[in-house]
Amino acid sequence: MTEDLQYVGGSYPVHDVAQKVTGELIYGSDFSVPGMLHAKLILSTIPHGIVKRIDASRAEVLPGVVKIFSHENSPMTRFCRARIHPGQDLAPHDETLFSEHVRFVGDRVAAVVATSRAAAEAAAALVAIEYEELPALLTVDEALASTDVLVHSTGNVAYEFEVDKGERPDLEGAVVISSSTSTPRVHHAALEPHVCIAQGHSTGGMTVWTTSQGVYAARTVIAELLDMEYHRVRVIKVPMGGSFGGKTEYIIEPVVAFLAKETRRPVKLLLDREECMIATMVRPATWTTIRTAFSPDGMLLDFEAASTLDAGAYASSTPDYSVHMCKKVTKLYRVPHYQHQSRAVLTNTPVGGAARGWGAPEIAAATEIHMDRVAAALRLDPVELRLKNMVEPFDTDLVTGLSLGDARVRECLERGAVAFDWAARRARPAGRGRLRRGVGVAAGAHKNGMFGAFPEASNMSLKMNEDGTFELNASLHDPGCGVVTTMKIIAAEVLGVHPDRIAAGEADTATTPFDYGTYGSRVTYVVGQCARVTAEKVKGRLLQAAAELLREPIVHLYTRDGAVRVRNDAARAIAYRDIARLSEMRHVPSISASTTYYAVSNPASYSVQFAEVEVDCATGLVAVTDFLAVADVGRAINRGMVEAQYQGAVQMGIGYALYEHLDVDEQGRGGVDGFKNYHIVNAPDMPDIQVLLVEHEGDDGPFSAKSVGEIATVPTAPAVVNAVNNALATTLSDLPLVPERIIAALHEPEEVPACSSC
Amino acid sequence: MDELAAALKAATPQTRLLAGGTDLVRAVRRPGSEPDVIIDLTGLDELSYVRLDGETLRVGATTTFTELQSDPLVHEHALCLGLAAAQVGSAQIRNVGTIGGNIANASPCADGATALTALGAEVTTLDGAGTVRTRPLGELLLGPSQTSLAHDEAITEFSFSALGAAHRSAFAKIGSRTAVSVARLSAALVVRFDPAAGSLTDVRVALGAVGGAAFRAARLEQELQGRPVDEDTARLFAEGCVAAVQESIPGRYSLPYKRHAAVGLAYDAWNMLALVAPCEPAWV
Amino acid sequence: MQLLLTVNGLTHEVEVRPTARLLDVLRDELGLTGTKEGCAEGECGACTVLVDGKAVNSCVMLAVQARGKEILTVEGLAEHGELDLLQQKFVEYGAVQCGYCTPGMLMSAKALLMANPVPSEQDIRIALAGNLCRCTGYAAIVAAVKAASGHDATPAMVLPGEAEELAVEVATDPETLAIVEEVVEAAVAGLTEGTAPAPEAFPSPDAPAGPPGAPAAPSSEPPENADDAEGGD
Repeated sequence: MTEDLQYVGGSYPVHDVAQKVTGELIYGSDFSVPGMLHAKLILSTIPHGIVKRIDASRAEVLPGVVKIFSHENSPMTRFCRARIHPGQDLAPHDETLFSEHVRFVGDRVAAVVATSRAAAEAAAALVAIEYEELPALLTVDEALASTDVLVHSTGNVAYEFEVDKGERPDLEGAVVISSSTSTPRVHHAALEPHVCIAQGHSTGGMTVWTTSQGVYAARTVIAELLDMEYHRVRVIKVPMGGSFGGKTEYIIEPVVAFLAKETRRPVKLLLDREECMIATMVRPATWTTIRTAFSPDGMLLDFEAASTLDAGAYASSTPDYSVHMCKKVTKLYRVPHYQHQSRAVLTNTPVGGAARGWGAPEIAAATEIHMDRVAAALRLDPVELRLKNMVEPFDTDLVTGLSLGDARVRECLERGAVAFDWAARRARPAGRGRLRRGVGVAAGAHKNGMFGAFPEASNMSLKMNEDGTFELNASLHDPGCGVVTTMKIIAAEVLGVHPDRIAAGEADTATTPFDYGTYGSRVTYVVGQCARVTAEKVKGRLLQAAAELLREPIVHLYTRDGAVRVRNDAARAIAYRDIARLSEMRHVPSISASTTYYAVSNPASYSVQFAEVEVDCATGLVAVTDFLAVADVGRAINRGMVEAQYQGAVQMGIGYALYEHLDVDEQGRGGVDGFKNYHIVNAPDMPDIQVLLVEHEGDDGPFSAKSVGEIATVPTAPAVVNAVNNALATTLSDLPLVPERIIAALHEPEEVPACSSC
Repeated sequence: MDELAAALKAATPQTRLLAGGTDLVRAVRRPGSEPDVIIDLTGLDELSYVRLDGETLRVGATTTFTELQSDPLVHEHALCLGLAAAQVGSAQIRNVGTIGGNIANASPCADGATALTALGAEVTTLDGAGTVRTRPLGELLLGPSQTSLAHDEAITEFSFSALGAAHRSAFAKIGSRTAVSVARLSAALVVRFDPAAGSLTDVRVALGAVGGAAFRAARLEQELQGRPVDEDTARLFAEGCVAAVQESIPGRYSLPYKRHAAVGLAYDAWNMLALVAPCEPAWV
Repeated sequence: MQLLLTVNGLTHEVEVRPTARLLDVLRDELGLTGTKEGCAEGECGACTVLVDGKAVNSCVMLAVQARGKEILTVEGLAEHGELDLLQQKFVEYGAVQCGYCTPGMLMSAKALLMANPVPSEQDIRIALAGNLCRCTGYAAIVAAVKAASGHDATPAMVLPGEAEELAVEVATDPETLAIVEEVVEAAVAGLTEGTAPAPEAFPSPDAPAGPPGAPAAPSSEPPENADDAEGGD
């Protein structure tokens, strides 16, 4: 790339790294205010029923107990935990603070508020709940088949969607292949549990400290629920220990706000790991069948698919999720005709919703496993098959009608195949020994923001201080992946100062201007570009001021290293701090600018990933022995962090392929109660990941940058699954490939445990 | 030790004994499970040791897994126990988890139990009356979370015949992942190899994580007794493990998996003895 | 019950319930919130502290078990505000994202290096097996620990401290300053004489920035009348 960039493309630690390595940073879970009370939730122990009686008499008398709340003494107004703004489509209001009609094991029945966590926990254990049990629908099949038992009165199908685009060509002589793939219910496993603190003030206002990824959206839900004017509700984003989508939705914020309002004290709710696993949200389990028609030489002619999601007990964001599952394939492959039906089905199980990738990992698993099936049938190499059908730069997405932008996925695949030595590794026979190796490839696509489907804009302002340092005022929500740092780097590049001369905080509805938040892969592409535009405006003002002061035409000036300088005259320059001082004397108190930036495009981001595995055919354990992730990033703003994000994303994807699954038993209870039996990949099992960045100009992000955080985990699982199938000559397609499934596939193929409601 | 006896004397059925705490701390904090007294053995150095007493190896109950893993006497005279200790949980767990606590907790998957069972260990206990008893491990471990320990009885020591120079031992475990996983299957194997006769004697096979507690596969041991060190014996060993697993958990959901995985487990243990070149299971 | 605990070199007297965990005493009684709770069952390692130099999960240890022992938490790593070598390498190698696992990782790594100053990669991964991370995939963390044991390999990240050096260079040279002061004086003089300065004397607040979203050149187009600007009168 030709631009001479000073800061963009370097590698920077996260902005608060010094506080993190010293243990100084106060996360939500560390946060406290004087006089704070502690809450403990009481959750349903049955999957479906009506709360008949709540006996809190033994709990209420415990020392330290302030009050116990349930549906009996709280508003039964319905809200939607995923709603972004009032009046939004696809935002079903089906949840209440506390349930009288409980719909899953983990549904909120009551909450104890006490002066200490210990007191709240002790009291919660003494509250006796009597239920009238109703038949429970624990699987999607049961829910679809049931006509009289309903999870919600509106029916068991939360949403249905269909897309049908293009024209089916003549399929004479075409090869038709079918496959079906299932993906499990998964726990996000952010290391910090869910937490929220709220405080009601005597002014009639409320402050909420949250780890949610959208403070403004949270505010609308809280304010509406508690019948408060928005300007009285202040929602502040506090530092958090990861989210991966699990904290996008306001699950406990409304509850805590209510408790704070009622008790007129600050209240903190910190969940434990088990509660996080079952009572917040999960990545929904999915089942997808795909039927494609290919010409014998490998051209994709027709793609038909049907996807079902297990929405769990409340619809949450699964309607939107199910739509997005239908919007990924045509970002990746050219096809004359694409038809995809999807539906989100309610069951009496943990609530499914936002998870990293928003349906892309789920549909990529199905699509990429399917493509390998096709390659085998057509006797084509999997890389070759994909190359024949992949999109080219600036293709139009058949489904959305938007340009895919400078789509470099083809290049990712070609360069990756070379770097991974694909052909040679693929040619190596797996053998029939105990340890068998195989390689697999998978590609994925994701978006860059919500343009095209949803209003997409960001607001921010930037000012220069009297000493030549800067402050960016924006509603940033950093889950820990370096959002704040990214904005500083972008502004720094424009302004010609080191990123550390720029301060940027996180979102606070009282002080930072409106932005939707961190999701939809919009932050680098949309919020980042807003930062660039804003910084350019400030730079413009600096140049103008300097032109005045130096008596030079602006074209003779440029910014670098904290000063405005005259071209070809190194001696003449004026430092920003002097511009600030002198401008102030001329009654220009502050050099600053604000921007409302509207996104103008929504290109796709891509990743192609290659996995090598070694399967122990005796024990069924799979080791990932080598891995390459190729990323079409446009431009890496913070190179080190882009690579680091890929490494973490691959960890998540390997877990998705091999280890992670949250099942419920016949009583609707989660069979896992923590990390002891819910295994995420640990250090000994994590292979070395090579990350190859493909950078090109061509899109409208800051310095051509595109999103990274979600796309990084999209094709990981199918790359691993395809590698296992290559090693074993199997056609496994039910994730995760736990040892039982591997062993059964090898020895008793008819008895491979299927995933019904995994 | 007198202090311990006195503390035990005052014990009630709600009293708990604390060694490492990695199991106990969670248990006693559950609402409704608070004990009346916790007898804290952490500070009792008298119970933390590994000693060779003639031909008997003695291991104190509060010896941690980290200590067992790195102890030279364990390495020389009870290798399978050291190997098992090295695979318990994470470094943090091994640093405080004790062999006594592990046995008293009586998880059917306890790696220490499998190794001690193969070693033919006996357990010495002390009770509130000051009585010292010694009994075979198999009489102490009754089933999942069930021991024959009285509420005022503490494990003080494990003892067994020290393995000699002619002995080899191994411990293998299959979890859900390589490290930090509860065992789904475990095996401890002890043999005495007589080079002159070219055969195995004193064969002991213990299996864990199948059935209620670790057990010796007695019939298999007899079949292997006197056999040469070759691939046929390895195969016999594997088949015997499969049969033993099959018998121990008939009809269980996990049986189809464990039955096959037992083959891998057996070969891992066999190869670890390092008596011959590593063998692989022969596939059809 | 009363308990004396020595944490990071200081001895504290605390009042605790017998079943209080070491984690709770550190965080709630002593205000050392650097040690985190991630799972409360000794699986994730976010609560790792050193007790007599050994890494332990403080969420499954009763506070009483730590009496008479030396406890080291993440807050005790830095000396007099200077980061310990491990902490520095975590910064340099980008081993920190959300940072929630970081204190536990540092403590496990610290224990490892104290016992084994030159660990292999395998040794490091085993030592960290009980510390879960969902953000980093462990790679940068392992690299940082290796670097702290003397095997620097990967290029470092740009450190926060470098900003200081740049700040020093930025200064307006005296000559330019002199000219500039003239301009300012003139403008200010115009003001004191009661004459409003010409609008051209001030940078216009609403200069167009180009169409929204254009990744184009900076808005350095001067407003039409800028060349006429010559002080206030």
